[in-house]
Amino acid sequence: MDADSDVALDILITNVVCVFRTRCHLNLRKIALEGANVIYKRDVGKVLMKLRKPRITATIWSSGKIICTGATSEEEAKFGARRLARSLQKLGFQVIFTDFKVVNVLAVCNMPFEIRLPEFTKNNRPHASYEPELHPAVCYRIKSLRATLQIFSTGSITVTGNLDLMHTCSELHHSLLMDAALSCVGSRSSSSGPNVKAVATAVEQIYPFVFESRKEIL
Amino acid sequence: MPNGSRCPDCGSSELVEDSHYSQSQLVCSDCGCVVTEGVLTTTFSDEGNLREVTYSRSTGENEQVSRSQQRDLRRVRDLCRILKLPLTFEETAVSYYQKAYQLSGIRAARLQKKEVVVGCCVLITCRQHNWPLTMGAICTLLYADLDVFSSTYMQIVKLLGLDVPSLCLADLVKSYCSSFKLFQASPSMPAKYVEDKDKMLSRTLLLVELANETWLVTGRHPLPIITAATFLAWQSLRPSDRLTCSLARFCKLANVDLPYPAASRLQELLAVLLQMASQLAWLQVLRLDKRSVVKHIGDLLQHRHMLVRMAFQDGTAEVETKQQQPQGRGQQEEVGDSTFDLPKRKRPASPALLLPPCMLKPPKRTHTMPPDSVVTGDEDISDSEIEQYLRTPQEVRDFERAQAASRAAMSVPNPP
Repeated sequence: MDADSDVALDILITNVVCVFRTRCHLNLRKIALEGANVIYKRDVGKVLMKLRKPRITATIWSSGKIICTGATSEEEAKFGARRLARSLQKLGFQVIFTDFKVVNVLAVCNMPFEIRLPEFTKNNRPHASYEPELHPAVCYRIKSLRATLQIFSTGSITVTGNLDLMHTCSELHHSLLMDAALSCVGSRSSSSGPNVKAVATAVEQIYPFVFESRKEIL
Repeated sequence: MPNGSRCPDCGSSELVEDSHYSQSQLVCSDCGCVVTEGVLTTTFSDEGNLREVTYSRSTGENEQVSRSQQRDLRRVRDLCRILKLPLTFEETAVSYYQKAYQLSGIRAARLQKKEVVVGCCVLITCRQHNWPLTMGAICTLLYADLDVFSSTYMQIVKLLGLDVPSLCLADLVKSYCSSFKLFQASPSMPAKYVEDKDKMLSRTLLLVELANETWLVTGRHPLPIITAATFLAWQSLRPSDRLTCSLARFCKLANVDLPYPAASRLQELLAVLLQMASQLAWLQVLRLDKRSVVKHIGDLLQHRHMLVRMAFQDGTAEVETKQQQPQGRGQQEEVGDSTFDLPKRKRPASPALLLPPCMLKPPKRTHTMPPDSVVTGDEDISDSEIEQYLRTPQEVRDFERAQAASRAAMSVPNPP
């Protein structure tokens, strides 16, 4: 089975993890008492609060640091974080919304062919490591993008990593990669943003190597 | 004897040198008078040069090896001898352990992790020399947890910067088949079950290569597929007597452990053989099933490349036929409305069993695509939206009352 070189690959962002600070101490008992949809983990000293729209789970510490997980785009993560800060303001805390940062992005992309993992690993050492006794996927690291790709034999690729630095310090490198990668495959992301561009760049960077190791029986 | 010297007491000229311990003295041999005394000397030249000698230099304190490292180095050598590895393997593993021990992440680790480091060094050495040794075997010998072993293994390979090759499947097949107790008659092994080792090994290797070509090995543990291939090879060499023997009984007779996924791998391998058998003309008329296809494994393996290609070619043709229709439909819709995106491309259903098994039986997952929202993250948030996340004062009072009631109920002791 041959794959067309101009096929569009869907990159689906499935999880975005972000953090922000409120710059004031938070009384967890007060949040647990007056907030709805909260779970007070007394033994570890944190409160879990779930927002309905966008669907986000927030981990609230008494120091004022809050971790938000579950968003499907960076804009959604920021909107949820601001909504959470507003809720805490309503509870009476002097909240200042600062230091918002996206720390991790999880994206899934499906190739239209199967991949021979042993051949792929042999051709792409030392970035690729494949231990079938531990995990059924190849772990491929792209240091310039700070991305870790899990490549499965079905053609599914999971991109994980702190991809924020791409936007700030590798603009020229990014442009060159885009020009080179667009000649072999186009990609379309479900949402826009600097991290999503880095995810697309990671997928485009891995595509030629994956294409070489696709399934063919001679 | 110095010339011209005389004893001041008796005037005799018989003066000799006599050593009093480390001090040389000039003594009269007639009356015993000490004429002159020599200087004290030492064999340590540094002291003569008036230089200070530190305690650690004089006692060799820096040359000591810690007790933990001594024990673990001994364990590395013991593990190599238990596995009957060559001597060069032992020296290489010891050197890897000494390098790993210099790393701060390893030196400050717990004892459990340090024991796992011993196994990791031995495994890395065996991998680099294509010695068939699995992680499960190492974990069994060390009584270690596979999760701890895997994380430590990845850490050591990364920190030491080693390039460890993958496990060689053919060597593992040879090593694992040799451990089966099938090649000599014994009271527990009937004569009809005894098989020649070379024939068994060659057929098992062919079956494992076939499984590798048909996606049954990728991303899986190797031992279950080797166990299933060995069982099929053993059955096919004398099917009339061995078709009644099950996989569990076979493993018990051969005195090997039965890996849990081996039964699934056996079924998958039989399904592949059935698919190949449908391409042979003289087997199509027989209407084979998973039990009777074992008799024809020799014929199937002899022509396996052609059979796999024929089966795959049918799949390719059907995939290409189905692939054109969605593209045409997408193009028409794109012409009609330029803002409408192409429909999400799904993988067309492929025939037969030459896809990875995880695609033949994908887990059912209802993944609803979220609508394309224009969220920018900076919208205004109204108070009515926030109210749904806060409790009203009445709810707070009810909640406090319920908490107090539950706390009081738990604190009341049960009457005897």
